[in-house]
Amino acid sequence: MFLALRDLAFAKGRFLLMSMIIALVAFLMTLLSGLASGLIKNNISGLMALDVTHLAFEYNDRPNYRNSMVEREMWEGWRDAEGVLAVEPLGHTLFTARTPEGLPLDDVVLWGVEPGSFLEPEVTFGESLKGPDDGVIISALLANKHDVKLGDMIVLDRVLTKLTVIGITDEQNIGHVPVIYTPMRKWQEATYGPPGGPAPGESLPDILFDYASVIALKLTPDADIESVDIEWGTVTMDKQLAYEASLGYKEEVQTVQMIQGFMVVISALVIGAFFTIWTIQRTQEIGLVKALGGSSAYLLRDTMAQALILMLLAVGIGTFFAVWLGLSLEESGKPFMLVRDNIAGSSGLLIVAGLIGSMVSVRLIARIDPIIALGRTR
Amino acid sequence: MGLQVKDVVLELGDGDQKITALDHVSFGIAAGELLAVLGPSGAGKSSLLAVCGGLRHPTSGTVVIGDKELTAMHDSQLTRLRLKSIGFVFQQSNLISSLTSLDQLMLMVHLGGHRPTKADRDHAMSLLRSVDMAHRANRLPDQLSGGERQRIGIARALMTKPSLLLVDEPTSMLDRVRGRQIVELLSEQCHQHQVAAVMVTHDRSMLDAADRSLHIVDGRIQEAAVSATN
Repeated sequence: MFLALRDLAFAKGRFLLMSMIIALVAFLMTLLSGLASGLIKNNISGLMALDVTHLAFEYNDRPNYRNSMVEREMWEGWRDAEGVLAVEPLGHTLFTARTPEGLPLDDVVLWGVEPGSFLEPEVTFGESLKGPDDGVIISALLANKHDVKLGDMIVLDRVLTKLTVIGITDEQNIGHVPVIYTPMRKWQEATYGPPGGPAPGESLPDILFDYASVIALKLTPDADIESVDIEWGTVTMDKQLAYEASLGYKEEVQTVQMIQGFMVVISALVIGAFFTIWTIQRTQEIGLVKALGGSSAYLLRDTMAQALILMLLAVGIGTFFAVWLGLSLEESGKPFMLVRDNIAGSSGLLIVAGLIGSMVSVRLIARIDPIIALGRTR
Repeated sequence: MGLQVKDVVLELGDGDQKITALDHVSFGIAAGELLAVLGPSGAGKSSLLAVCGGLRHPTSGTVVIGDKELTAMHDSQLTRLRLKSIGFVFQQSNLISSLTSLDQLMLMVHLGGHRPTKADRDHAMSLLRSVDMAHRANRLPDQLSGGERQRIGIARALMTKPSLLLVDEPTSMLDRVRGRQIVELLSEQCHQHQVAAVMVTHDRSMLDAADRSLHIVDGRIQEAAVSATN
């Protein structure tokens, strides 16, 4: 690294300019990583919070939470299968909500869960679910965005179901829409019952309470999923795969990953171009070093060390400023989340891309003839 | 014998473009001897340096430095030989622009794959003193005059204690007075360190500083021109 370090100190201006470009790319990569994590959190944080290993959907080529409807015999059937630790039905319906005064609360997803089951979330404020008419738990997103507090009432448009807030949980969303945890029976009433609920003195038919959207499962690794799926007409996905059943999730992640991919390719090309030009400018000196007895291997090691130092410094600076900005974005409530492993991953990828780019100059160095040190070609 | 060149032929190019840069060249020089090589432009002086320094494989003939036959060596062996046994002094521009005078010498230690020791540093400083450049040890090339750069180049060439010094037009970029000083310094260092040296020059006025000279025209040594100058 003898020459590498001295070149860095000598050509400060050029390396500073290059460092700024790489730092800017690292800055954008980290922000994109935070945006990707934020979008994921904003899209599927409710699913991530579920204490399940798998979710079973009604059989469909492209199952999702909206088009799936399972019957009681399905989840009862799953309950009796081998390798099943726990089973609960989960209801999922998208509603538009408002306050009793008519102020809009935008879209909400009503999740129906059995009170006291493993699907019920931990509350940060208030209390847990009880009976069907005793209230609901809302996502922190709804509470923060619309200033909904404990004891407030939410009205679901179209069905006119009234829900009282008794608890607030973490930010739990699906498809960027805040989740409202509702006792299963209340969810079934709202989803399948008549608007406004049953007429006074009447009750809803029992059959309405035999349906849910998906089956939440806790399975052992040896559970025979395929056989149970065939027997009960379900299609079961592990938790990670079930994220993709949330509409728009896959496309969002792919879009952000594509942008990140382009950034990596661009940075590799920019760094490759820089080191190629830098090598061409140093052709005479490289020839001189070779003539003095420097091996190509020595020069290649030196060039790679130079690229590594440049990348580490520039990526470190760019990432530092992105994290600094990201922390304030996180606090502002924007869909942004800094995840250490993701930041390390994107930074590492950038450094590797830079090193690959710099290897373009390796061929040039290997081809330089030491005879040019004599200032002649013959 | 420091350097022995026997019946060396160097052909360059192909077909109609083929030229004979060196045509059955033979000579030898002993340790501590400075040989000046003169000749018109295109006579083959630089080709001779390239062959003696292992930068070009001759078409035929042999080049022996000490007891090492260059013509049988691979490129990687030649690279090692250049580092350990050959010192090059180039025209004045051939210093590494990012290295100080002292670092130009220390580079040779690094190229050998070693971490410099205090002894290496002391050796480098003593060489800088011997070329009267110790006071410029921390200067970069663009802070030095042409003559000072050549002095650094000479010190760098001696850093690895070579058995052969190859000197390429050391006075071409200098005025007469400074050119004279450099050639006298080369002669002095060559005798002091007992290094065989080949100096290519176009300047006849420098001949008296060399122990011998030879004249090369069209790739051939002019027999009558091989002479002792001192």
